[in-house]
Amino acid sequence: MVKRAKLEIIKDILKVIQENRNSIKLTPLLRKSKLSSAGFKEYYTELIQRNLVKEIGSGRERKVSLTERGMKFLEKYRTIIDFIDEFEL
Amino acid sequence: MGIPFQQMFNIGSGTELIYSFVIMLCSLMVFFGTKQIYELSSHKGIKYFRLAFLFFAVAYFARYFIKFFLMTFGVGSLHELSYLFFDPTGILTTFIFMYLSSISVFYLLYSVIWKKLGDKKIYLVHIAAVLIAFVSILSRNGIFLLFVNLFLFVIVSLTFYFTRKNSKKKKHTFYAVYMLLVFFWILNILDILIPSFFQGFQIIIYLFSISIFLTILYRVIKKTGD
Repeated sequence: MVKRAKLEIIKDILKVIQENRNSIKLTPLLRKSKLSSAGFKEYYTELIQRNLVKEIGSGRERKVSLTERGMKFLEKYRTIIDFIDEFEL
Repeated sequence: MGIPFQQMFNIGSGTELIYSFVIMLCSLMVFFGTKQIYELSSHKGIKYFRLAFLFFAVAYFARYFIKFFLMTFGVGSLHELSYLFFDPTGILTTFIFMYLSSISVFYLLYSVIWKKLGDKKIYLVHIAAVLIAFVSILSRNGIFLLFVNLFLFVIVSLTFYFTRKNSKKKKHTFYAVYMLLVFFWILNILDILIPSFFQGFQIIIYLFSISIFLTILYRVIKKTGD
């Protein structure tokens, strides 16, 4: 299996949330992100810190949804990847 | 009687102003045009790429400022200017100009090799730029400065070459543009540091430099859509 780049992993996680009508619990998100628990925790913390996702509710009802910035990231993902590729960054 | 070949390409302060303005504008447009994709991705390569162009804008501004003084006081080089105003004014100007010049080239270089070095080693870029700036103020010898800049160009060329060689990607269209950018920037530095080095041929260097910056700006706009 080809190792995914960091931006691709972020895109995949955000895509899972978007495809679940922008609201998903943490356990199915972890499962669908195809990451280890430790890896997922690391990415999830970063997504929260970068304001790409937000938590709604608390306790067992806690869900994750995309922020406006997260939606913008998905919209611009192809542009970002093309740019990095074009300028050899 | 015809105009001598070199006089045909002589330029005045108006041309210098337009030249510097176009380059600064292109650099700043690259910097601001990539703001959104950087803020969304937090990609280190994009960050260093943007900073390189921000420093290019500042360095070209400094270059214009120095050129303006050289023309106003009718002196040939930055070192002569420092004699005119007495140190440390001239030394400080040379130091700042050389630091800005080197840091912009190094940031561009770092944007393509940061994956190999890691983003924690960015301080090396500043150390190298400070070293080059120190060497430039310590040496008043034009030939020595020429060799320092040639050395810088060789380092940059080798780094681009090996990065390209070790990359899995088959098509590398932009390394050539980067190389030309660095090459013409070094010619711009030499034009300031060494008196009459390109006497009469500046306009050709200016036209090439503008073409390279416009090419980069065009590609940035095309890719980002901003």
